[in-house]
Amino acid sequence: MTGARCFSVLAAAALLAGCASVSPDGLRSDVAALTAGRTAGVPQAALPATDPAARAQAQQSINGWLAQPLTQDAAVRIALLNNPGLQARLAALGVADAERVQAITLPNPHLTLGRFTTSQEREIERTLAFGLMDLITLPWRTQHETERLQIATLQAAQDVAQLAADTRRAWLRAVAAEQVAATHDRMVEAAEVGAELARRMAQVGNWSRLQQAREQAVLHEANSQRARARLAAATAREDLNWRLGVWGAQAQYQLAAQLPPLPATALPADGIEATALRERLDVQAARRQLDTQAVRQGWSRAGAVFGDIGLAYSRNTTTERDTGSSDVKRGWEIELPLPLFDRGGAARTRAQAQVEQSAAQLQDTAVRARSEIRAAWLTYRTALDLARQQQAEVVPLRQLISDETTLRYNGMLASVWDMLAEARNSTQAVANAIEAQRDFWLAETDLQLTLTGTSPGALQGLTSGAAASSTPQGH
Amino acid sequence: MNRRNFFSGAATAVAAASVSRVALAALPEPAMQSSADTAPPLHPPTGRPYNPVVTLNGWTAPWRMNAGVKEFHLVAEPVVREVAPGFMVNMWGYNGQSPGPTIEVVEGDRVRIFVTNRLPEHTTIHWHGQRLPNGMDGVGGLTQPAIQPGKTFVYEFVARRPGTFMYHPHADEMVQMAMGMMGLWITHPKGSHPQIAKVQRDYAFLLNAFDVEPGSMTPKVNTMLDHNIWCWNSRVFPSISPLVARQGERVRIRVGNLTMTNHPIHMHGHEFEVTGTDGGPVPHSARWPEVTTDIAVGQMRQVEFIADEPGDWALHCHKSHHTMGAMGHSVPSMIGVDHRGLVGKIQKIVPDYMVMGERGMADMGAMEMPLPDNTFPMMTGTGPFGPLEMGGMFTTLKVRADQPAGSYIDPGAFKQPTGTQAFEWQGAPASTPRPARTDIPGTAPAAASARKPAASGHQH
Repeated sequence: MTGARCFSVLAAAALLAGCASVSPDGLRSDVAALTAGRTAGVPQAALPATDPAARAQAQQSINGWLAQPLTQDAAVRIALLNNPGLQARLAALGVADAERVQAITLPNPHLTLGRFTTSQEREIERTLAFGLMDLITLPWRTQHETERLQIATLQAAQDVAQLAADTRRAWLRAVAAEQVAATHDRMVEAAEVGAELARRMAQVGNWSRLQQAREQAVLHEANSQRARARLAAATAREDLNWRLGVWGAQAQYQLAAQLPPLPATALPADGIEATALRERLDVQAARRQLDTQAVRQGWSRAGAVFGDIGLAYSRNTTTERDTGSSDVKRGWEIELPLPLFDRGGAARTRAQAQVEQSAAQLQDTAVRARSEIRAAWLTYRTALDLARQQQAEVVPLRQLISDETTLRYNGMLASVWDMLAEARNSTQAVANAIEAQRDFWLAETDLQLTLTGTSPGALQGLTSGAAASSTPQGH
Repeated sequence: MNRRNFFSGAATAVAAASVSRVALAALPEPAMQSSADTAPPLHPPTGRPYNPVVTLNGWTAPWRMNAGVKEFHLVAEPVVREVAPGFMVNMWGYNGQSPGPTIEVVEGDRVRIFVTNRLPEHTTIHWHGQRLPNGMDGVGGLTQPAIQPGKTFVYEFVARRPGTFMYHPHADEMVQMAMGMMGLWITHPKGSHPQIAKVQRDYAFLLNAFDVEPGSMTPKVNTMLDHNIWCWNSRVFPSISPLVARQGERVRIRVGNLTMTNHPIHMHGHEFEVTGTDGGPVPHSARWPEVTTDIAVGQMRQVEFIADEPGDWALHCHKSHHTMGAMGHSVPSMIGVDHRGLVGKIQKIVPDYMVMGERGMADMGAMEMPLPDNTFPMMTGTGPFGPLEMGGMFTTLKVRADQPAGSYIDPGAFKQPTGTQAFEWQGAPASTPRPARTDIPGTAPAAASARKPAASGHQH
């Protein structure tokens, strides 16, 4: 075999690994394809590009969105383009891609050069050797690495879906908290008037200090509740800022004034389990994992039995020191492990166990997905009923009570303070309705994520109270 | 309403051995009243003659003579009483109204009263103040079994002594009286009576009180004293008929109290004498002149006077809360509290808010603010010179020189002869009302500055 022929063998091997080129956009288009329709209800949300020109254009779009009152669509779009955590995650996917290419690139052949001298002769050894096993298992490994990368891509896509959902939740909490804080302004105004009138009552001797003190206490209570509401609004906004990846001047945006209205009809529960099993990225990833392990089982058997098969070509030149005559020795060398002790049984068992593990994990993921989607739908449906009740029944009822109290004030049957207290109650009902509306949209976000995205973790909907919204939601 | 076995029930309602079976054979048709207006006096078509009474915003029950017995038929039933136009109250009453019809008989009459119960619970009728057989006294459980829903009982006795009486339930009495079950009974004297004068006008009414939550229409039966609707014959000012008289006529007013507190009934422009109680006529030697007579709970007073002063004279309970409509007793007094700078703020929260009570409550009488449904305002009524700011136990005695005898038509507002009305001083003005105090409560204003005649404001 000549050197040229040897080279052609290497070239063939290289050709086998020819698909092993690095994705030019770091697999972002793959992630984007997987996340289509899974970004918290925002259609065609772009992911950060690797291209600097596109990045500059994205920054321009972000500034444009931030100049308007921030809608939830815009918030999700900004977060997907601008969240540094997501950028790190996508960069990591590029790293994984490079590692894949690395893994399926054939190892470089070894060239061994030796020069040995005795008193009679001088010997020069040249050996070109490489592991055959890598070449034999190359198709398996290529497939395996591709599968692994697809799993990584699916996981990155889940992170995108999570970020979209988290951003939407943060937006919902921030907008609701601002609305609620505004209702507290009205409650404080009512308490202020009551306290001031009480002061004047005591001043002219109509009221005792006790009666005045009661109204002052009402004012302090209203003030402290407003402070909490304002804090909740500020922290909710900060949480959103973090998702959006904005700070400084960019964080001076104005939020949309209101949450989206409640939908007229609820999504039906029909077929949600089937949809979740078909669409969810974590279920898809688990399925891939099982496939990958099955593929791996094939080559692990061969690899385990034979270990590494070495193939080497040697060309040794021996030169007699006295005569100067040379003798060239050429030859092939193959190195085979003898399966005497390790017959590959342990490796096969390991591979088999890994398949079983993956199968069980797939089943677990599927069962969890079914349970989660049922819980998410139930939460969604209950949250919708509660929000509708609050909006359509409780708020009008509180308004009626307020109006009727005003009529009683007119008839000198109730006091100004009774009237102001009912106005506060009425405003509180509005705040509760806003929170119920927020809880519905949180539940809706959970439902969408659970249906087509991934596991939502703990369901976010139906938290209660303004303070609850200040808790940052990590993942 | 429980109407089952109405007639068959009547047939088995043999209440007492003295009631004849023949009389029961034909139950008199009960007369019904749908109006809350004052009915004209019912001159007796049968039986002994008498001078009938006028029941304020009420009526006298017609009767039928049955073998020399005056037969009445009272039906106890739920009614909707117009306490004032636009203010309806779910009550229990008799024959379509609360109070029930006045029963007028003559001393010595044998009277038979059929009582049909259309209420959801049992009842009886007690004939307050009458001399009668014990079994006719109408005390449920004590003198008779209660009349069950749908049943008819018969009471029969001789009206033995002349005077002013009333009737009311004596079974679940608290509830049934709080719901308006009561009526007047007048026994006119047979022939002339030395202590009972002949009168040209004879008015009668009962004092009753209800607690109706503003915006509702059924009395709260558990209220003891804190009622908000103070009525004469389940009617309130300005919807109580005026008492009219021709100048110089002798007028009798009979008042019974079935509320749970006393009522000092006060008449303007005249003195009167209490000429009788539910115990009978007061001897001439025991009478003294008064302008107010206090009528205690469960009492009746009959007062008489000569209506010789022409004019529109107030006639009312002198407890000022009893001449008011529905009011909130826990509403704090806002008098003298400066509202400047706060009205706009309150209106921002409650757009319909208006300041009231800053200077007193008279605003209420003038402003017609929207009130809860079916709520009788605290102050109402308008006279020729402005708002009366009343509502409750108040009406007028209208004495006119030209009121035809026997006519009960409201003559309208009195035209005061020139120079007989209070008038505004046209000379140098007196000081304006003192402004609200701004000093510390619990301290007396400095005497010198406060009493300065020309002071137009506070010095401190």
